[in-house]
Amino acid sequence: MNKKQGPVSKLHRRDFIMVALKGTLGLSSTLGLIGLIRFLGYQSDPAPQTEFELGPASNFPPGSRTPVPEAQAVLYHMPAGFIALSLVCPHLGCVINSVEQGYACPCHGSRFDAQGQVLNGPAREPMRVLRVEQTPGGQLILYTG
Amino acid sequence: MQTIRLFLASLLLCLSLLGAAWLQSRQPRPVSLLPTLTGQVEYCLTCHADLPEISPSHPVETFGCVLCHGGERLALDADLAHSTMRGGRNPSEFAVVEASCGSGDCHSGTAQDQRDHIQRAVTSVQGTYAGAIASIRFTYGAQSDQTARLGVYPVQDDHLTTATGLASLGTFDPSQESSPSVKAFADYCLDCHLSAEPLPGAQYARLTGCAACHTPTANTDLDQPVHRLTTAIPYTQCNTCHNRGNYDLRQMQFHPRTDQPVDRLHDYYQPIAQFVRCEWTLDCVDCHTRFEAMGDGDIHSNKKEIQYIQCRTCHGTLDELPLTRTIAGQDDLALRMAFLNPVIDLKVGDTVLVTEQGEPLWNTRQLADGAFELFGKATGQRFTFRPVMGTACEQKLDQQESRDCHECHSVKR
Repeated sequence: MNKKQGPVSKLHRRDFIMVALKGTLGLSSTLGLIGLIRFLGYQSDPAPQTEFELGPASNFPPGSRTPVPEAQAVLYHMPAGFIALSLVCPHLGCVINSVEQGYACPCHGSRFDAQGQVLNGPAREPMRVLRVEQTPGGQLILYTG
Repeated sequence: MQTIRLFLASLLLCLSLLGAAWLQSRQPRPVSLLPTLTGQVEYCLTCHADLPEISPSHPVETFGCVLCHGGERLALDADLAHSTMRGGRNPSEFAVVEASCGSGDCHSGTAQDQRDHIQRAVTSVQGTYAGAIASIRFTYGAQSDQTARLGVYPVQDDHLTTATGLASLGTFDPSQESSPSVKAFADYCLDCHLSAEPLPGAQYARLTGCAACHTPTANTDLDQPVHRLTTAIPYTQCNTCHNRGNYDLRQMQFHPRTDQPVDRLHDYYQPIAQFVRCEWTLDCVDCHTRFEAMGDGDIHSNKKEIQYIQCRTCHGTLDELPLTRTIAGQDDLALRMAFLNPVIDLKVGDTVLVTEQGEPLWNTRQLADGAFELFGKATGQRFTFRPVMGTACEQKLDQQESRDCHECHSVKR
């Protein structure tokens, strides 16, 4: 039996190392590329919405009082036009509830009349009045920002 | 050789990237919260969504977590997220309470707005332990009278409102004391002030700072997380410091009680003390007011200077009815307190008892027939009682202290 295996096995090891080298480089490149794509494609949390389309103004008849829960606001159709009050308490930011005689904060007990004026603290400021605009097409837009 | 080195380097790079990918895959998907008060996204709910709301006054949607607890709001790794928390699991520790619970709209506002909670708590005798320190130092000759000079931390008060108020306290430093007894006191008897860690055992289980009282943990395992703040404080929470045993001032040792109380009456420990029905059916906070329990904003030398509620506060005397006040407006402090712990549906026009210092006992109300009702702050239980005036009480008019009432009305134990 001729046992001249040495050169052959040395050649195989070199080939193996080359294949492994290419494999690890390829895998590393793929992983790096995936990481880069994920990094570049990262989207931070969207900024909170500050503009709300409420639909046609005709949906809100004169004298109506319409809660807008997604905007944490309430929309009034007054004789002078549309106004909205923010339901975020001016004291510490809890969401105010509508009650029989106006509004009440469930966190610390501040109460406000139907116009948003302070009836009792701890809030010192009235409820914030929000901007409402009507588009030429008759759509109402509420701005909370 | 060069190829092998290159292969090893690329293998290392590949393993590092795989490790990073594995770590990334283990990250939980963040649960985002945008508290209205801060307007800054935080990811704490990713792991803590199952925590109960700490109180109706602190909804998580409004306050979030970071405002009170600190921490890294966007970290998803627990260690990193918790690395900058204030006070560990208890942000109400006095060392950090100003940053956690302070601000003028919260708990470090003015006395006029009744929002000076932190100022009152840190200057209280429960906080400074000034009374015990002064008493021991006086007893063992380290100071010439019982006026407090030192507390467990330094504190000052720029606005004195009482005759016994002190301007400041220095730090009680046992290494500066020459009396062995005072040193021993420091070693063995400083377990019950509001900054001290409690003794081991469920009967002593309480947190520190504000949470020592407002987070009821008595007879529980402190290793279990608790997320609650309340003004409905049961007497068992007071008992984590009070009624736990006695101090032997000769040996400077604390001797814990060894009895096993079977009912509320026997949960008091002082064997020779006398108790009337109110004292063992109500909770401590039903009578002892916020000024007494939490301080009045002044630094005092002992609890006698701050504790003033007597039987007559609610019951009056033979020749005087108890003090009352009719609630005239929605801004009345009584209504604010009743809102926080609605055991009573107090309204404008109701008449409540008030103390001689004008504090409303907001859990009481005068009834149409002149009697009073009182609602337990921790139990909601309703009690009714009448003033002493007009009854068959034979007490002498010049003996109207609580101890005089105890002569006839204490119960046998």
